Amino acid sequence: MAAGTLTEQAVVAARRPRRPVALLTVSYLVAAVLALPLVFLLIEAHGVGWSELAHLIFRPLTGMLLWNTVRLTVVVTVACAVLGTGAAWCVERTDLPGRRVWAVLVVVPLAIPDFVVSFGWNSLWTWAHGFRGAVIVMTLAVYPLVYLPVAASLRSADPGQEEVARSLGSGRVRTFVRITLGQAKGAILGGCLLVALVLLAEYGAFEILGYQTFTTEIFTEFNGYSFAASCALSLVLVLLSLLVLAGEGMLRGRGRVARSGPMAQRISPPQQLGWTRWPVLALFAALVLAALGVPVGSAVYWMAEGLPPALSGGANVSLLNAAGHTALYGGAAAALGTVMAFPVALLAIRHSGRMRYFLERSTYLVLGMPGVVIAFALSYFTERYAAGFGYGTAMLLIVCYAIMFFPLALVGVKASLVRAPVSLDEMARSLGQRRLAVLGRVTVRLAGPGLVAAFCLVFLSAVTELTATLLLIPTGTQTLATQFWAYESNLSYSQAAPFALVMIIIAAVPSYVLGRFFNRPAQARG
Amino acid sequence: MRQVAVSGLHKAFGVHPVLTGVDLEVPAGSLTAILGPSGSGKTTLLRLLAGFERADAGTISIGDALVDGPGVHLAPERRRIGYVPQEGSLFPHLTVEANVGFGLPARERRGGKVTSMLEAVGLGGLGRRYPHQLSGGQQQRVALARALAIEPAVVLLDEPFASLDAHLRASIRADVHEIFRRAGTTAVLVTHDQDEALSMADQVAALRDGKIAQCGTPEDLYSRPADAALASFSGDANLLEGVLNGHVVKTLLGELPLDPAAATGGGDQVTVLIRPEQIDLEPNDGGITARVTAYGYHGHDTVVHVRPEHDAEGRTIIVRVAGGHHLSIGSPVTLRARGPVFAWPRD
Repeated sequence: MAAGTLTEQAVVAARRPRRPVALLTVSYLVAAVLALPLVFLLIEAHGVGWSELAHLIFRPLTGMLLWNTVRLTVVVTVACAVLGTGAAWCVERTDLPGRRVWAVLVVVPLAIPDFVVSFGWNSLWTWAHGFRGAVIVMTLAVYPLVYLPVAASLRSADPGQEEVARSLGSGRVRTFVRITLGQAKGAILGGCLLVALVLLAEYGAFEILGYQTFTTEIFTEFNGYSFAASCALSLVLVLLSLLVLAGEGMLRGRGRVARSGPMAQRISPPQQLGWTRWPVLALFAALVLAALGVPVGSAVYWMAEGLPPALSGGANVSLLNAAGHTALYGGAAAALGTVMAFPVALLAIRHSGRMRYFLERSTYLVLGMPGVVIAFALSYFTERYAAGFGYGTAMLLIVCYAIMFFPLALVGVKASLVRAPVSLDEMARSLGQRRLAVLGRVTVRLAGPGLVAAFCLVFLSAVTELTATLLLIPTGTQTLATQFWAYESNLSYSQAAPFALVMIIIAAVPSYVLGRFFNRPAQARG
Repeated sequence: MRQVAVSGLHKAFGVHPVLTGVDLEVPAGSLTAILGPSGSGKTTLLRLLAGFERADAGTISIGDALVDGPGVHLAPERRRIGYVPQEGSLFPHLTVEANVGFGLPARERRGGKVTSMLEAVGLGGLGRRYPHQLSGGQQQRVALARALAIEPAVVLLDEPFASLDAHLRASIRADVHEIFRRAGTTAVLVTHDQDEALSMADQVAALRDGKIAQCGTPEDLYSRPADAALASFSGDANLLEGVLNGHVVKTLLGELPLDPAAATGGGDQVTVLIRPEQIDLEPNDGGITARVTAYGYHGHDTVVHVRPEHDAEGRTIIVRVAGGHHLSIGSPVTLRARGPVFAWPRD
């Protein structure tokens, strides 16, 4: 009897389901590349020595930066959650007039670099400064990161649940809180996570607004080559990112949303806004005016101010050159980021397990890391271990972008893989197709539109990136962002403005594509 | 000759055992239905046959090849199985033609084979459409054509008709049966619908508690179930106490001849199975008197619940009569049962 049980156990142990070895290996490699900045910080910290580090961390400056960074992150994240969720609900679930137009207009601000928004406000009104300015500018610049996922989840969630709740005697407000917010909870939290991490790493906007955070201070220290101090501050910032990640994980819980019944998309009648439609419309108009009208308007205004010099031949050539480089670097980085995100997303969607969960979550850390840290980490490692290979070339900048915006690519690729259910992969394998053939003939084809979305997300972020670009750009080359920054720092607003406008135009295309992608139902019929 | 052989198959998900020693043989060219309530592990069994899951213990052979066993696990793409899942799982990004040709070598994907497969399932001319342009029944037919196109060793069907309308279901079942018969296809069909299992299959295997409780012809399963619980699972059943006397069993409904195949184990106390259609309702001619307690009209037949008047325990007997004559609740009827009846020793 005992022997029989033993053999049976042995057989069971020998026939565990196969681990996706290839997928795990590739994913760990990607995670290792993403971990480079953190490794760099730890090596530097070790070099500085822990007592010196403690001395650098425990000083009044750190306290001030902590207070500035935390209060801004909390206020803006909450503001974005309210604004993004409210706007998404109005567009997706009510009879707001012009819903499809608003759906595009509220996403386009994603295309406007944060530092252009702050330039727009700050160059027109001097009161848009400090904490107040930072809250206004950052909320307007990043709320689409909450809007997009929430709108997508509200669209694919079952509106029947709201109807059932109403039929069970729950009022309009109660239904919104208990059912609608519940359906969108994961999306809201995911959006807030992105917002908080982006805020931690923001530099350009705060520099213009004269608001000091960890990242602005880290940039200043790095530029002054006081590596020890910037490294100490970066470590505190990493801790903050970890706290944000842990907090989001705790709020999210490990529950999964079960959905009963077939995934048929049913259109249910939108909520009637009644007389409230007028104030809601006014709010939407104000939002679009503030987030889109002010930065674009001020760029146009400053350009018109200095028309003759801005349109001179030499300026046009440099504008075209910078636009070309910007698009080239952005496109290459977006392609690289999407390819890197694919295996990790596949692992996260198709396989469960604690290790894989942490692997996926840990990649978010880079989003909260200042661009300068990542740029310095990359130059450090190429100098140390690759004999300076690639240093000073565009390649390093492109890799840097891909690392910085990897989490955004991951969000996009994960959303796209939902459209490629495992059952279709199994179907293809039962028809005699090998794993790789299935990937090419089914998975990637179905995920295609979502992969384009991931590409766009990285592209528009890379196009508007500033700090890493300033450090890693090949000598003699300019991008739109660096050129804008150079003029803006000299207060040559009229010369800076055309670069801002072209940047907005280049980034507007992918943000429009993104809006379209997230606007589609989550599951193809059939 | 057997085409699929399963022996001692075990599968657990975490600590929850699903299959606990399944043994099954599927003869070549036959359709075997696996009948089980939802959650009985039917789909798991099918997924193990397809190779999507790995067994914890036991062996599976398809044709002459061992595909699952100690140290052996053949990948799904090398098993030559035609899989038709419940939802069809057509590739939404491909046309009907491309779906059907998906498993074929590249040079055969456009051409005679795909066209003739589509004609075989009655969808000639719809090759250029996309799955979402088809009705549910048409989608299932495409899924079937796609599975058959690779000339599989065995076709696996996972409740393929469950999502279809009742009238469509009946016609597609008949069509599928005919297509399989003509092509000599070996098929395993998983279903919870006893009507589907009994009407389509050459062999029915009832899955219960992770094991095959009974495997036999549809007639065997319906008229000679292995135990009382299986009797109820394969259709409506009246289970009455009986006392055996030679080849005759005495029940509430009178003395009835015993099915010679019944193994009653020597004792005279038995449980008797009387199917509702083995009982006739007669106006009033001296049979067992009863009163109608419930009445369900189905058009082609009528199911009547009656309570015999002289039964102290007040049991309800189910009677099925062809056609529909109206009976009001409480009206008196007379029952007459017909043998032979099946019975098991009573515990």
